[in-house]
Amino acid sequence: MTKIIVNATHKGGEGKTTNSIILAEYLSSVLKFKTLAIDMDPQANFSGRYLKMEYDPAYKGGKIPPLHPDYDATVDKNWDGTSSIADIFYGKEIIPYPTFIPQLELLPAHSSRLQEAEAVTRNEVVEKVHVQLKKLLNIQQLQDSYDVIIIDTPPSKGPLTIAAVKAASHIIIPAQMEQFSIEGIYGMLQLWKQETYYRGSTDPLELVGILPNKVRNIKIHKQFLESLESMKGVGNYVIPHVIHERAIYTEILVENADPKILFNLPEEHIARYEYETVCKFITKKVFNNG
Amino acid sequence: MAKMKSFQISDALTRGLEETVSVAHNYSGQLRIEALQIKKIDIDFANPRELSIEFADLLNEIDKHDVLYEKKQQEINSLASMVESIKREGVINPVVVYKEGERYKLIAGERRTLASILAKKEDIPAKILDKKPSELKLSMIQWIENIERADLTLWERLKNLEKIVFSYEEEKKEKMAPTALSELLGCVLSHAVKYHAILHADEMIKEAVKEGKIKNLDKAAIIVSIKDEDLRLEALNACVAGATLQDLKNLIVRNKKLEMAKKEKADKLPEGRGRQTTRVNLGTTKNTKAVKFIIDSIITNKGFEVLKGQVDKLNWGDYKSVSGIFQKILKTLETNLNKEQELK
Repeated sequence: MTKIIVNATHKGGEGKTTNSIILAEYLSSVLKFKTLAIDMDPQANFSGRYLKMEYDPAYKGGKIPPLHPDYDATVDKNWDGTSSIADIFYGKEIIPYPTFIPQLELLPAHSSRLQEAEAVTRNEVVEKVHVQLKKLLNIQQLQDSYDVIIIDTPPSKGPLTIAAVKAASHIIIPAQMEQFSIEGIYGMLQLWKQETYYRGSTDPLELVGILPNKVRNIKIHKQFLESLESMKGVGNYVIPHVIHERAIYTEILVENADPKILFNLPEEHIARYEYETVCKFITKKVFNNG
Repeated sequence: MAKMKSFQISDALTRGLEETVSVAHNYSGQLRIEALQIKKIDIDFANPRELSIEFADLLNEIDKHDVLYEKKQQEINSLASMVESIKREGVINPVVVYKEGERYKLIAGERRTLASILAKKEDIPAKILDKKPSELKLSMIQWIENIERADLTLWERLKNLEKIVFSYEEEKKEKMAPTALSELLGCVLSHAVKYHAILHADEMIKEAVKEGKIKNLDKAAIIVSIKDEDLRLEALNACVAGATLQDLKNLIVRNKKLEMAKKEKADKLPEGRGRQTTRVNLGTTKNTKAVKFIIDSIITNKGFEVLKGQVDKLNWGDYKSVSGIFQKILKTLETNLNKEQELK
């Protein structure tokens, strides 16, 4: 089975997207795994890393994917030339985009359509949204095409996040060692718990762990991390390597960054070493422990 | 000096986090409840069941030629009140099933499922287990599900328990003690002791429970506890005849008193008619020669020297004097014997 890793927490700014990007690039460019990136966040930042997203004329501030490189107006009469993960909620076929990394493909966001799915309230529709991504990822052809799928989620606990969690085999909760972030962990653990109740032993949702992110050498970060690690049961789920607050993690996201990929930095570079250690840990947990 | 700042995650949040992880571990895959189509559910015939009615009987009416027609019709009638409540409120407590291929096998909730069919429902809330649970777990689930049923007979409960004990002993390879039973069922030890005793009772009592002649756990337990076979039979018959628990207790107490009285008597000397004989009567005689013979043979013995003078002077024709001297000799003899006893 293709491993499906979701980065989720309903608090914003914890590093979901950055972690999705770096993990996807580690798996595709370093390990050469056939990787599919899925952007469930209407902010479309994960998509923007790989595609020149266009502004949606009909939706203020919204983004839509550009034309697909394979689109040929003369042949594809029934296709408007774009594809996004939001299409699964509209019964449309989806066509992943290639990226600048050969092993990495992307199903980009479509802001307004994702927003619509996120905003559904009628029970039957909510349930449909919840299972839609799982249905897509269960398709054999898709499973055969990828070794691993990385899903980025919006900062919410709404239908899109739930859909991602329901589709996932593994979940990572990135979190800063700060008050609101720890509360965010609580919310996500609740979601994981609910899903765990539901799953059978044949297809569990594995909690890879809480990833301590943006850690600085200050007392509150150190003490919160210590508290979290010493909590009964919870301690086992704190990833034993932290990511520190570093300029480089945001610098590589700039359009003309050089290098563009963190793993193109020299091996002994502290940032590369730090994140690679975390990626190795995650990979080991996801691929070795079933 | 400035106060050292210390940062702790609050107790409430810590508790919340810890509980969430622990609960997630404990109930992983166990709280999966969904509305299932009833037509996808099958009765598990591997498990003993009390009902003879089957889903097919309800879906296409009972065959009039069915030998069990009467019984099945009765069972349908007995479900009437549940059918009404399901029409009104639906099924509140989900049934329990496990997945087998594309279909589901029913572990608990046969009546609810049947009643739902009668209530013209197409689906039913079900807790879904991924696979068939172990025999012990299965019998436990059925026990817990059943214990809430008010109409469950003592025999039905015992049969459930018998399965639990059997599968426990199979799994653990050891005899199940009442303490283990009480732990497993989560009931008080005294309750478990009673169940345990009845499970190991003789066939006659079990038969009476099976036939519904004994319906009450306490009554059954008290009868089983009687060691004396005759009394046990008496108590059993009394119970079948409608004796209350207090009657049975009284029967045992009365019997105990009787037993004790009997035992006391057995310890004492055998008795004749009238007042008890507590001493030896040496008898009376008019023949003073016979008395003289006895006295002469005693008086020569050691310890009677003091009486020798009186005997010599005795008027053997005077019965009163002879009786008097005989009594003195007897007294002296008793005294001498007592002294001898003490010296020893």
